[in-house]
Amino acid sequence: MSAAVSAVPAASTRRRGRSAWIHRRDRRGIWFVIPFFVGFGLFMVVPLVYAIYTSLYTTRIIGGTVFTGASNYTQTLQSGQFWSGVIRVVIFGAIQIPVMLAVAFFFACVFDLGVAKFGRTFRTIFFIPFAVPAVVGAVMWSFLLEPQFGPFVHVAGALGFRGVNYFSPSLLLPSIIVIVIWEWTGYNMTILYTALKSVPRDVVEAAILDDTPLWKIILRIKLPMVRPAVVMLIFLNTIGALQLFTEPQILEYFQQGAVSVNYTPAYYAWNTAIAADETNLAAAMAVILAVIIVVVSSVSLIFRRRRGEFS
Amino acid sequence: MSAVLSRASGAASAPVETRRERRRRERLEEQDAVIPAELYGLRRGTVSLLTVLAFLFAIFTLIPIAWILINSTKNQANIFESFGFWFSGPFQFFHNFSLLFQNVDGYGTYIQWFGNTALYAVIGGLGATALSAFAGYGFARFRFRGSKLLFALAIAALLVPITALTLPLYLTYAKAHLINSIWGMVLPSMVSPIGVYLMRVYVDISVPRELIDAARVDGGGEARIFFRVALPLMVPGLLTVMLISIVAVWNNYFLPLLIFNINTRYPLTVGLGLWSDRAVNSGDANLYPMLVIGGLVTIIPLIALFLILQRYWRGGLLLGSIAN
Repeated sequence: MSAAVSAVPAASTRRRGRSAWIHRRDRRGIWFVIPFFVGFGLFMVVPLVYAIYTSLYTTRIIGGTVFTGASNYTQTLQSGQFWSGVIRVVIFGAIQIPVMLAVAFFFACVFDLGVAKFGRTFRTIFFIPFAVPAVVGAVMWSFLLEPQFGPFVHVAGALGFRGVNYFSPSLLLPSIIVIVIWEWTGYNMTILYTALKSVPRDVVEAAILDDTPLWKIILRIKLPMVRPAVVMLIFLNTIGALQLFTEPQILEYFQQGAVSVNYTPAYYAWNTAIAADETNLAAAMAVILAVIIVVVSSVSLIFRRRRGEFS
Repeated sequence: MSAVLSRASGAASAPVETRRERRRRERLEEQDAVIPAELYGLRRGTVSLLTVLAFLFAIFTLIPIAWILINSTKNQANIFESFGFWFSGPFQFFHNFSLLFQNVDGYGTYIQWFGNTALYAVIGGLGATALSAFAGYGFARFRFRGSKLLFALAIAALLVPITALTLPLYLTYAKAHLINSIWGMVLPSMVSPIGVYLMRVYVDISVPRELIDAARVDGGGEARIFFRVALPLMVPGLLTVMLISIVAVWNNYFLPLLIFNINTRYPLTVGLGLWSDRAVNSGDANLYPMLVIGGLVTIIPLIALFLILQRYWRGGLLLGSIAN
């Protein structure tokens, strides 16, 4: 250590020489970032560029692959099927996200305040679904909700609702909402809980001394202080909702015909690429979906930049 | 150089605290940080009511887990005919388990998918951690031409959703004849913009600039300084990034679903998806019990990993939440 300590002041006396030397060393940093950017170029930039390129062509049975410009885009953007999928995920998000965040915030507050017993145990249990792959979560819930044998059908029957079909057109979306809420509430709660923990203790103590009721402490003091986390979760979950794929795809296996090919935009793009083998059209859909999501997340970034959180 | 090195390694091995002591300390610290509930002037019974609500939500959370545990012991008929939340009929757990080692009806062997998943997750996860550590350190401790632009590029990549990238990746593979290639799965998993961001943040707070400068004055090469001085200080951040990347590959469904079309290459997620399709639509008698026990064996390693490494998950989530 002594060698290092004595060397630094000696160097700083020859300041100009030292900074030039440091500057020279600084340039070597490029070698540390090159491996990542090689992968970045090959597996992110190249595929995106290739998808855009492919989307400008159309393969016909007669005539082969020809350049058709924006026709795949106009076809997608004018297709009612594509937009009905987009509208569905928007409705899905508009219900699922507020419900989940309300539940997550409620329990995050309860555990943060320490007003329920066994808080640590509950927090661990709530987080478990995050460790379950979406495929397995969807498979388990498909068994539970299965219209003929699923235990939840029996439960509904016992409560007086006979012949409930959770995979019917009217109940399919609510079923998916329940599955996704099951998967993600614990994760959202954990983030909110961590954010709530950072609210200074003396602020809350001062409020208690002023006889502020608990609900006011939560809504007027704590909620504004964790607002950045809430905003971040809203955007994060919105992006997740727009990409909804796994749950409907697995449910369709359990009840053929329950999930239409265009149920969500991602599912539609997959069906177009694989089942319909229209890769050029699917490429256009992927690009449009990417643009929609990039716009949403850019808005979130600008939103948070303005608040000085992200630099 | 040697002086700096010994200090760095000394810092890495300094905390001598057993796991039990740490848990105890954490619990005490947590209790200390919480304002006693009595001070809020709550009505009598509020604590009980809230505990009951938390208990109800815990039941909702555990229902599928309990179901899959119980039904992994049943045969096909009992999975459907007996009550879903209690045991029934012959205890078939070990028979079902043995099916995971067989290629029943040619749909693929579970144990092979398990091996594939582990392989993809470990190589992909370690690769992602290494690339993120290099790049994060490069961005945090060097200022070279274009460094700001490149970092902005990595951040911009955070905005592009996985789903939107996967389909283009598939189209590219189809053109480049990379369908069914293991590398087609592993290499893209190594590119983790979030990992780069997390490592940059972590290096900024945990590797002092002065220490690097001192090591340079002592005459260490940049690679040597990275591995001997910086890396030991980055270990907790590395573990977090590794955990996030391994779990991301383990749970990945969309990419392998698109790029693999022979079942010897499948990871667990795609294999189980195939089984649920075949179980329902081919009427094969063995597939339902296999699907149930297969699901159970898939989630157990992850839940165990999560319970053991909770601390790093939390840290990663927190950091990850800032970035996303």
